[in-house]
Amino acid sequence: MTESPEDQPTTENAAGTEHIVEPVEPVESTESAAPGRSRSPGSVPDLEKESEIAADYLEDLLDIADLDGDIDMDVERDRALVSVVGGDLDDLVGRDGVVLEALQELVRLAVLTQTGQRSRLMLDIGGYRAGRRAVLSELGRTTAETVRATGERVRLEPMSPFERKIVHDAVAAAGLTSESEGEEPQRRVVVLPA
Amino acid sequence: MLEEALEHLVRGIVDHPDEVSVTDRNGRRGRTLEVRVHPEDLGKVIGRAGRTAKALRTVIGALGPGRGVRVDFLDVDER
Repeated sequence: MTESPEDQPTTENAAGTEHIVEPVEPVESTESAAPGRSRSPGSVPDLEKESEIAADYLEDLLDIADLDGDIDMDVERDRALVSVVGGDLDDLVGRDGVVLEALQELVRLAVLTQTGQRSRLMLDIGGYRAGRRAVLSELGRTTAETVRATGERVRLEPMSPFERKIVHDAVAAAGLTSESEGEEPQRRVVVLPA
Repeated sequence: MLEEALEHLVRGIVDHPDEVSVTDRNGRRGRTLEVRVHPEDLGKVIGRAGRTAKALRTVIGALGPGRGVRVDFLDVDER
């Protein structure tokens, strides 16, 4: 079974927890203001710097596109979380979050370009990911119940790595195991009987 | 606006941001945004299996009018 790191179940509580955005503590006030490319390979990623690069990139885009939105920065599970909130941001989320995924990809590339390090930064827009998280946690929980009752494995619809991870976590929290099968973008979660 | 947005998005992900230019062309096949970058950056804006180009097209498609806008990528030496 070859899973990407973000697709691994974790033991973390996966109930549909409300996401609370908090400002990131300033860690290195003078250092982090300096331009990038200073990181040595294997060093701990500077999540605050990643968030700042992402926020600048996104703020300028919002300005150009004449869209209202504020940017919140947070750290979640050792990765930077940047959220664009407020305003009418549906266009930037797109159907099934496709525009959001595309923007996240570009934001990560912008961080890579400036720091020389790959980023696992997570982007949210208009609370889309937070909302999906609640729905998918519930799906994982109810599917686990069904599988426990019937003893039959259940294959879910294809999902993105981000979405599969939430389902895996919810299934694990319900005490069952799950795995992923198939190739992207048709890769899907299978919930296994105990 | 689309031109400017695309230029900004591309500038942020290349090593030679000053050599990025976007031209807006209206032709028989509709509107095309032509992105020119330093030759060393062409691979970056296209990405593995065209992934980055696809992401750029998706975002520009979302910001643009209902009908599709083509986005082409060339290096500065191409005509």
